[in-house]
Amino acid sequence: MRVRVQLYGTLSLRVPGYEHSRGMEIELAEGATIKDLLDHLKISESQGAVVTIGGRIRKAGDKIPDGVHARVFQSVHGG
Amino acid sequence: MKLIKVNMDSKTIAVEDVPQDYVGLGGRGLTSIMINAEVPPKCDPLGPENKLIFAPGLLSGTPMVNTSRISIGAKSPLTGTIKESNAGGTVAAALGHLGITAVVVEGKAADGELSLLRIDQAGEASLVAAQEYKGMRTYAFVEKMLAAYGEKTSILCIGPAGEYQLAAASIQSSDIDGRPCRAAGRGGLGAVMGAKGLKALVIDQGGQSADAIADPATFKEANKVIVKTIKAHPMAGQVMPALGTAGLVAPVNSMGAFPSYNATKGVFEGWEKISGEAMAKLIQERGGNTTHVGCAQCIVHCSNEYVDKNGKYVTSSLEYETIWATGGMTGIDDLDTIAQLDYLCDDIGVDTMSTGVGVAVAMDAGYREFGDRAAAIEMVEEIGKGTEFGKILGNGPAAVGKHFNHDRVAVVKGQSIAAYDPRAMLGNGVTFATSPMGADHTAGNVVGEYLEQKLDPLNAEGQVEASRNLQVGTAAMDCTGLCFMAYVALGTPEAGEALLKAINAKFGTQLGPEDVPAMGIRVLKAEREFNKKAGFTNQDDRLPKFFYEEPLPPHNQVFTISDEELDRTLDF
Repeated sequence: MRVRVQLYGTLSLRVPGYEHSRGMEIELAEGATIKDLLDHLKISESQGAVVTIGGRIRKAGDKIPDGVHARVFQSVHGG
Repeated sequence: MKLIKVNMDSKTIAVEDVPQDYVGLGGRGLTSIMINAEVPPKCDPLGPENKLIFAPGLLSGTPMVNTSRISIGAKSPLTGTIKESNAGGTVAAALGHLGITAVVVEGKAADGELSLLRIDQAGEASLVAAQEYKGMRTYAFVEKMLAAYGEKTSILCIGPAGEYQLAAASIQSSDIDGRPCRAAGRGGLGAVMGAKGLKALVIDQGGQSADAIADPATFKEANKVIVKTIKAHPMAGQVMPALGTAGLVAPVNSMGAFPSYNATKGVFEGWEKISGEAMAKLIQERGGNTTHVGCAQCIVHCSNEYVDKNGKYVTSSLEYETIWATGGMTGIDDLDTIAQLDYLCDDIGVDTMSTGVGVAVAMDAGYREFGDRAAAIEMVEEIGKGTEFGKILGNGPAAVGKHFNHDRVAVVKGQSIAAYDPRAMLGNGVTFATSPMGADHTAGNVVGEYLEQKLDPLNAEGQVEASRNLQVGTAAMDCTGLCFMAYVALGTPEAGEALLKAINAKFGTQLGPEDVPAMGIRVLKAEREFNKKAGFTNQDDRLPKFFYEEPLPPHNQVFTISDEELDRTLDF
């Protein structure tokens, strides 16, 4: 299945040639979870990574529906 | 350990040892406990009975990194409650280097009289006539001060808004580069300073009479652990230097909690244009600085220098709450306009958050269209000019709502909420409702709990406890002089122990881990006691009605925490 991913914070620096307006199209196995997505991106949750889909934060074990738009952030505690 | 007491009636200054009741207190702990003990709760905030207290944190002026927060306290003209507003810059370290625990300003000068308080390298304080600076905006004023007293001078000052005694006036604090771009913005403490006839504190940075550290070797070791921890932390070590607090625009919009168009929507259509990422890209393209040291002894570097298309300085530091208030709330999706508004607010000396929300209320009431960039700039300029509308806007969003007879005003106890809609981040709503300061994001911000998935922002369960714990922890942190970025990074047991070791090593005390929340609770109790004596009740710990009635898109929820739950938040 395909997932459109946009990276925020300093995460985009890890992907050479990343263009934010376009984001990245990623191919994952059916039934893939948030953890699988982060593993694919080589980002660990201990680095403060957070994934939102459809306006909600998704947990590591949550399954990702096909064709969604995922945003990956780093945790920030306040401004 | 000395207090500088300045009487603005008699123009006299007394230097005293810190009284026993206040020994061991610093920052917010000192300002709040002293105000509760000494200021008549029902007094006029702009009258002679109010006291304006400037207190560096317990660790300010030591070699400890990121301890440059100055707490400023008084009874607030905006909220009528007790108030502590803290700011970064260089002044806390400068006072600490002089061994000054607090500057307490009492009384009130005769109408029209203006002075500045000068403290020299030897710690000698004097009041200097400042009539010639009357009406001067802060950037021009600070330039004059640096020319007169030297580059190594720290300044806290008010602009025209403070002199007009407007209820949302700020006290501006000079940064490392000598710019008055840091603000104790909340609560209108600039108006208290203006009412006292005090234009500025002008303090030499070369003091060498800091209070001795009881155990320097242990202190040094503790500092090493703290430095290592901050540098390794993903937020303090990576996101903050790259994007600053503006890094929150993306996650909060993506969670549907960014109050937009005067809190009628939770996602701002143009947020990608005003995000931290967009700002960093723009600043880099134009040759400005995305990573900048704003405060003394800072190793986080969350500041930035925003420049225009010609590479010329506009403002520093453009931060999340300001981007929200002057951008999302007003429907303005243009960073250049937002940066200009930030500069104007700093220069006029008025809180960016109250001002942005006030502009949004005016737009919502139909005075101008949402998204009208020129109108927003014009409205803020009116504050500086002291026009009739400028005075209304400078008195904060509640005054604007009253003027237009418009009741959609996102304030609690007269102070505007911050950039987290209570309907989509329920715990932040609990903090806004119950903080003794009025709605205040710095009092106990729950956003990190959501991003770290410790709590569901839309589920009522656990929100009161989260807000309580954060309000207690923040009140304790606000005593130390540590900035929030460093504090968040020090959440590990090892770092927490190092921080406690540093405090004990400085004062020769034997405080244990349980003393930290105890200090936070002591501060909150004093603040709530003052408010109660001033006439506040649980009924004041409520959000505006529309948060309970109007569902916020995209989650279409209202604020669901009951009054009973709110009342047990800080019921110690």
